[in-house]
Amino acid sequence: MTHRISRRTVLAGGAALLSYAAFAPRAFSQEARLRLLWWGSQTRADRTNKVSELFKKANPGVDINGEFLGWSDYWPRLATQVAGGNAPDVIQMDYRYIVEYARRGALAPLDSYLGSVLKVEDFDDVQIKGGSVDGKLYGISLGANSTAMMVNTVAFEEAGVDLPTPSTTWEELARMGVEITKAGKRKGYFGLSDGSGVEPLLENWLRQRGKALFTADGKIAYDANDGAEWFAMWQKMREDKACVPADIQALDQFNIETSPLSLGKAATSYAHSNQLVGYQAINKDKIVLKSHALINKDAKGGHYRKPSMFFSVSAKSSDPELGAKYVNFFVKDPEAAKILGVERGVPESASVREALAPSLDELGRAALDYVSGLGSLVGDLPPPPPSGAGEAELALRSVAEQVAFGQLDAKQGGETLVNEVTQILSRG
Amino acid sequence: MAAVQDSAVAIGGGAQARPAAQGRWASLWTKHGAGYMFLLPWLIGFFGLTLGPAIASLYLSFTSFDLIRTPEWVGTANYVRIATADPKFAAAMQVTFLYVVLSVPFKLTFALLVALLLDRGVKGLTFYRALFYLPSLLGGSVAIAVLWRQLFAGDGLINSLLAQFGIEGPSWISHPNYSIWTLVVLSVWQFGSPMIIFLAGLRQIPTDMYEAASLDGASKFRQFYKITLPLLTPVIFFNAVVQTIDAFKAFTPAFIISGGTGGPINSTLFYTLYLYQEAFGNFRMGYASALAWILVLIIGLFTAFSFLTSRYWVHYDD
Repeated sequence: MTHRISRRTVLAGGAALLSYAAFAPRAFSQEARLRLLWWGSQTRADRTNKVSELFKKANPGVDINGEFLGWSDYWPRLATQVAGGNAPDVIQMDYRYIVEYARRGALAPLDSYLGSVLKVEDFDDVQIKGGSVDGKLYGISLGANSTAMMVNTVAFEEAGVDLPTPSTTWEELARMGVEITKAGKRKGYFGLSDGSGVEPLLENWLRQRGKALFTADGKIAYDANDGAEWFAMWQKMREDKACVPADIQALDQFNIETSPLSLGKAATSYAHSNQLVGYQAINKDKIVLKSHALINKDAKGGHYRKPSMFFSVSAKSSDPELGAKYVNFFVKDPEAAKILGVERGVPESASVREALAPSLDELGRAALDYVSGLGSLVGDLPPPPPSGAGEAELALRSVAEQVAFGQLDAKQGGETLVNEVTQILSRG
Repeated sequence: MAAVQDSAVAIGGGAQARPAAQGRWASLWTKHGAGYMFLLPWLIGFFGLTLGPAIASLYLSFTSFDLIRTPEWVGTANYVRIATADPKFAAAMQVTFLYVVLSVPFKLTFALLVALLLDRGVKGLTFYRALFYLPSLLGGSVAIAVLWRQLFAGDGLINSLLAQFGIEGPSWISHPNYSIWTLVVLSVWQFGSPMIIFLAGLRQIPTDMYEAASLDGASKFRQFYKITLPLLTPVIFFNAVVQTIDAFKAFTPAFIISGGTGGPINSTLFYTLYLYQEAFGNFRMGYASALAWILVLIIGLFTAFSFLTSRYWVHYDD
């Protein structure tokens, strides 16, 4: 409400009495105002705004202002708004950043609203824990997703290669890649994207080996040998032309539009299940979701059901209860659920999932089936990434590129990666 | 308001006699008040949007500030880390210097060549002037950087042209050996604004000098070398200083072409891009402020050096 006060003081102190009269009725007639901020595509914005309209209808006197940006512009904007004491009331939050924002006191703990305003009893316990930092609840999960391989079915078919299955190993996948490249059905086309710099993929591979990216107390949870083996595996795939060469992979800015799959360079890409909608929207060929390859036939637990994103309430919000009310509406109202679909991931609430199921289209159905059908490939939810995780992700990407362009060998790559990540995490 | 009145004293006060304080303010106000009222929008902009933030960032550069919690005073720790323990700072410096050293001379040479051509009384001069100036207006924009990405990608226009000659080009923008060059070419392409200034400079050179020289049998090349270049040095100097400062501050093209990462392998990690990453990617606003002040220092040193050496090669006499 700082906004209104400052406007009032300025106007009252100034000479613009006339405009004061013009503005005043509007400023005072509003009982409550909510500001929302999220990242995402236009599709997501349309769905979100429709839900806000519904909420306004159900709660007369509430005004809602929604704003959205792309992922990479979102975090600078949010950081500056929070720094300027001008944070939005309801903030879309990512698993990667929730610890940073919660520990810095930017988010309101929501525990006191549980049961009264927030009726999330039928959420998975794991997902509630996922939104908690230091024992307090700071984010309500908007849906679950899991990392996934996006696969261009037409390219596989043209090359006469069967689609990967949940029991496909990395060795088999590499062979599929070689066959697709060799088939040469498309110009400059390769079997696989190079996933060596993709952090969620490395995490999946590490988890199958019983390791992880980070420990619960925010340290690195793998060693130089793991890194070396990882880079060596990809090095071999590059040499065999199972995956794209380094200069094509480097075009990937880790979004849907610039992935080798979308650029028409490779038949696979590594992303998250809720992004299937986005991938299909810009790819002519049919895209399907497949689980990641296995280190051996018996490997388990590489995947996990990740809270795809949260809604958090700003610590500076003048009406956190209203914010919590909006969030509850967003995740629990059946009408809202139908509008939102699975675009933000599979809803956490069992009752909402049931209400939603009949109205889902094919893509929504596929994403839901994928996440709920992973079976033994799903392991425990890892602890939220520590401060510096974003920087560590960039470091992985940079080291992977140094190996791919031949500036480091796989062994040096493993050592460099572990050194850099250790340093980044120690700085916090 | 206090700042405005102070500067009024500083400018108007010296020449005045010293009446009583009250009367002095009043007389100053009647004398200069209207002028300052007209200046007010600019003064507000200068103090509010330029000087204020600059001072704030100087303060922040001595703090640890994560944008959310209150800044915490850390003394010179940020500067110490820049000097001793930041390999990415060194990488960014290297990339930026390379960019300045490559792009500024190429751009100025190209601008001068085009200006010389246009100076020869081409038909439709105004049209060409406008046409060549256009990239300068557009060049810093996101749209052009995106276009550049398309041109220099693996299957972009440049490689299609090369393919006509049987050459298979790499993806220029995403290969660490070439990516900086695509940015240099982009910068050279924006030669319009130095070109316009060169053109104006060329017009200042009296034509009778050339007439006298050709009567004496001097070749075109000798005329250029002995007359045009020396008389153009003040303009060359001006362009060099302005373009060098601009090159140090370059941000948008690298940001767009690398998707904000400065990759592949830091090959497009411009200084300002690294600064941006530290401030908004890693929540280290204090550290980023220190980086910003180092950049101010470097640009200041470069400019001072240019001015100091200018007396040996810039001719203002005619």
